[in-house]
Amino acid sequence: MNKMPLFSFLLLILLLGIWEMAAGTMSELVLPAPSVIGSALWEGMVSGYFTPHIIRTASEVLLGLLFGGGLGFFIGILMGEVTFLRKLLSPYIIASQAVPKLALAPLFILWFGFGMTSKVVITALVCFFPLLENTITAIRSSDKQKQELFRMLGASRLQTLVHLKIPAGLPGILAGLRVSVVLAVVGAVVGEFIGGSQGLGALIIASQGMMDTPLMFATIILLTGMGIILYLVISLFEKRWTKAYKKEN
Amino acid sequence: MSFLTIEDVTYSYRGKNPVLHNVNWGMNKGEFHCLIGKSGCGKTTLLKLAAGLLQTDKGRIHLEGSEVVKPSPDCGFVFQSPTLLEWKTVMDNVLLPISLKRKLTEEDRTQALELLELVGLASFSDRYPLQLSGGQQSRAAIVRALVQRPSLLFMDEPFAALDAITRDELQDDLLRMCRRYNMTVLFITHDISEAVYLADMVGVMSEGEMVYQSKVELEQPRRMEMRYDSYFNELCYTLRQVMGGKPS
Repeated sequence: MNKMPLFSFLLLILLLGIWEMAAGTMSELVLPAPSVIGSALWEGMVSGYFTPHIIRTASEVLLGLLFGGGLGFFIGILMGEVTFLRKLLSPYIIASQAVPKLALAPLFILWFGFGMTSKVVITALVCFFPLLENTITAIRSSDKQKQELFRMLGASRLQTLVHLKIPAGLPGILAGLRVSVVLAVVGAVVGEFIGGSQGLGALIIASQGMMDTPLMFATIILLTGMGIILYLVISLFEKRWTKAYKKEN
Repeated sequence: MSFLTIEDVTYSYRGKNPVLHNVNWGMNKGEFHCLIGKSGCGKTTLLKLAAGLLQTDKGRIHLEGSEVVKPSPDCGFVFQSPTLLEWKTVMDNVLLPISLKRKLTEEDRTQALELLELVGLASFSDRYPLQLSGGQQSRAAIVRALVQRPSLLFMDEPFAALDAITRDELQDDLLRMCRRYNMTVLFITHDISEAVYLADMVGVMSEGEMVYQSKVELEQPRRMEMRYDSYFNELCYTLRQVMGGKPS
C-alpha cells in the first residue's frame, strides 16, 4: 500500500507525457503542451504578473468564506436551537437552495458594482448554504442522553450549546466547511468572469480575448492549487480535532 | 418523613396510555433501592420523574420535603451509556459538573483524582474516553456523578452493556463508594441478581405499576460468596416469579 503514492505520481508523469506528444500535433492555441504551460506559469510567477491577481482572488475567497461561512454557522446554530425559527425559515431556505446562486452574479454586479464587493457577496452566498445545512443537522443530532446529562447538571442553554452541541457536531460542521471552501473558489471566479479587471477569473477571460491559451491553463492551475490548499487546511484541522480523541491504532 | 417520597404518580407520554399508574415509593437516607422490571414497564420513566427530568401528570415527588420540579444540583444521574464527552479527557469529563458551575480549583483536581484512584482510573486521567474499555468508561461516568458529592444518586441500568465479571467488579466498586460517602441510591436494572446483590430494598414494576417490594436481608459489606448462598437464590427465584413468565 505504501507504494500507491508513487504509482499515482507515475500515472501523472505518463499522462503528462501523452499530453506533451498529443500537443505536438496540434496548434498551441488549441492545446498547449505541458512544457509550454509550465514555462508560462513560471514566467508569470517570477515576473510578478500573477501576484496581484492571486491576492485579489484569494482575498475574495477568504472574505466570502468568512462572511458566508460565519453567517451560515451562526444562523445554523439559531435554527438548530430554536424550533420556531427553523419551522418559520425552512421553506425559504429550501426555496433559496433551488435558486442557481451563480445565476445571480450579474445582478450583484449591478447592485454592488464592478469592485470587490460584488464578488465577495457572490462567494459568501455560495458558501452560506452548505455550512447552514450542516450546522443545523449537527446541532440537532446531538445525543439525547448527553442532553439529559447536561439538564441534570443544571447547565444553561448556552453552556449546553458550547460544551456539548457544537463540539459534538464539529465533524459535521467541518464537512460543510470543506464543501464551502471548494465552492468559494468557484463563486469568486464566476464573479470575476462577469465583471472585473483583476483576479484569476478575469485573467482567464482576458487570456481568452488575447488567444493566449497557455496563460489560460496556467491560471487554471493556480486556481486548482488555491482550492487544494484551502481544502487541505480544513482537512488538517479536522484531523487534528478528531485524532486527539480517537482510539489509538 | 422519608428522604425521597413518590406519591400516587401517574405519567403518560403525550396523553397516550399512561406509562405509570399511581406509583408509590419511599426511601430513607443512606439506603440503596433497586427497581426491576421488564423493558417497557416504566422504570426508567419513574427514575426520570424522580430526578426531575420529566414532570408528573398526577401525584407528587418530594426530596427532603421539597417538591421536585426540575433536576436538583444535589442529585447525580448515571445513564445507561457512559455519556462521556469524547473530546474531553477523563479528568475533564469527571470535572464537567463543577466546571459548568464555577472555575476549577486545584482542590477539585485532587479530589477528582482521589475518586479516580478509588476505581483504579487515576493513571488514565489524561486519556480520552474512546481509549478506555467499556468498564473503565462506566467507572468514569460513576466518578463524574459522584464528584459533586450528591446526596442522592439515580442510576439507569449503568452496567447493562458490560460483561459479567466486569459487572461484578463495578458493583463492588459502587457499593464501596456509596458506603464511603453515605449515599442514597435509586438503581434501575433488569438483572434480578444485580438488584439483590446491591440493594437494601427491591421493588418490582410491571406495566406501570409497583407490584411487589421486598427487603434484602444480607449483611454489609456484600461479599462475592453471597451471590451463591441459598437465601440469595431463593430471593432471586421469588422475584423472578413475581416478574412473571416461565422461570428458567
